[in-house]
Amino acid sequence: MEEFTIVDALLTSVIGIATVMVILAIIAVLIIVVSKVIRAFENKTAKSEAVIGDTPAEVKPAGVPMPEGMNEGEVELIGTDEKTAAVIMALVSHNSGIPLNRLSFKSIKLLDDEKKGADK
Amino acid sequence: MEMIKDVLMGLWESSGFAALFVDGAFLWQNLVMILVSFVLLYFAIAKKCEPLLLVPIAFGILLANLPGAGLMDDPTGLMDTSNIVEGAHWYDTGVLRLIYSGVKSSIFPCLIFLGIGCMTDFGPLLSNPVSLLLGAAAQLGIYVAFVIAIALGFTPQEAASIAIIGGADGPTAIYLTGKLAGHLLGPIAVAAYSYMALIPFIQPPIMKLLTTKKERQVEMKQLRKVSKVEKIVFPVVVLVICAFILPSVAPLLGMLMLGNLFKECGVVDRLSDTAQNALMNIVTILLGLTVGATTNGATFLKLETLKIVALGLMAFCFSTVGGLLLGKLLYVITGGKVNPLIGSAGVSAVPMAARVAQNEGRKYNPRNFLLMHAMGPNVAGVIGSAVAAGFLLSRFG
Repeated sequence: MEEFTIVDALLTSVIGIATVMVILAIIAVLIIVVSKVIRAFENKTAKSEAVIGDTPAEVKPAGVPMPEGMNEGEVELIGTDEKTAAVIMALVSHNSGIPLNRLSFKSIKLLDDEKKGADK
Repeated sequence: MEMIKDVLMGLWESSGFAALFVDGAFLWQNLVMILVSFVLLYFAIAKKCEPLLLVPIAFGILLANLPGAGLMDDPTGLMDTSNIVEGAHWYDTGVLRLIYSGVKSSIFPCLIFLGIGCMTDFGPLLSNPVSLLLGAAAQLGIYVAFVIAIALGFTPQEAASIAIIGGADGPTAIYLTGKLAGHLLGPIAVAAYSYMALIPFIQPPIMKLLTTKKERQVEMKQLRKVSKVEKIVFPVVVLVICAFILPSVAPLLGMLMLGNLFKECGVVDRLSDTAQNALMNIVTILLGLTVGATTNGATFLKLETLKIVALGLMAFCFSTVGGLLLGKLLYVITGGKVNPLIGSAGVSAVPMAARVAQNEGRKYNPRNFLLMHAMGPNVAGVIGSAVAAGFLLSRFG
């Protein structure tokens, strides 16, 4: 077998990193193209469905965030009152540094351990 | 009386203590490796360093170095022809050696990739495709380490296997090493997983060194929502493109994308659940145990192992540098819209590297929330390291 020199290694490395860059760049371009096609198709379908439907669907303005300090959506409260839930959400927002309008809460549940502890 | 003496002698001769002395030589290396396994178990259990992998790996090291236990014996030359015993059958092979065939045949790394695919959300990558370039740049360490390994006298196959540690992807490192340099599997796997656990200590100093305070404080705008159809089409498109350009990448990437399709298509929830939980756990046990078992004291405790450990660290650092430098370039090109810290997450190690970027960003701007932005380069790094492995395999396989 022929000796593999440093020059060979350097050349292999240059070709190697270039190959990785090119392949991932191709994938990036494809993602952009495919995403545009899919979104255009989905928008078209959504529009035609809106025209066919009896009542026009409510369209929310896309990309407009809720005002800071506000949140939307429903939170399931299990064993927790609304006041406590509001405090918990504010605390999570404060401690994580994430504005409330960028957080989404699904449910707030009182743990069994705490229930037992409270009973005692 | 004679019989008692014979029984006691037989017990002594079959014991591990007697097996420590072979032809008058004392197998101190096995004892050292047993101590190493204790240290690793301590780090895994007490310090919680990658415990899911480190516990089986450390226990594999312990099992393989128990003198006389023969768990990695290969009397028929199934994988190692150096110790063939005449008249031995395949079922005389050590139990861990039999399980190790899953590593040697690449079944385990591929199944791990299936599970990873089921657990990976490519959403952040799809909403910001430029992340892919960061994932590619963060493979720089692989190629830097490759050149240095050649300079240190390793063969191209060995150098490629060592260099892949820089991809920060355990299954990829095991897959490539199993194909190119099986005798280095133990040190390479241990180094790869150890460095992945040490990412929170390795990366931050490099991040601080290569970025300015102003760059670290950059807040990035919220990512767009990705539709379900985009997420379903993505794994298929990526696999087809990559496998056509570099067929050797198909086994790893194919399983990764199959797993991701299970997750995203929404019609095979049972398969997705099995692949990312039960199957993943089973394969992790078998893979960790047998990879650890390849670290026999006599073959592991060499100067070569130290070189591998040093080269692995170098590869990790240069990969971080590559991601950060491209991040800085994107910062300049976009007029300060990209935080260069997310480039460091391009070294796979999902999601640890992304978490490090998030934590470092928050240190300099408490309102900064980089996690989802860093997840893009992070999952791109998985694809990037698989492509890099495919390239090295096609070149030296």
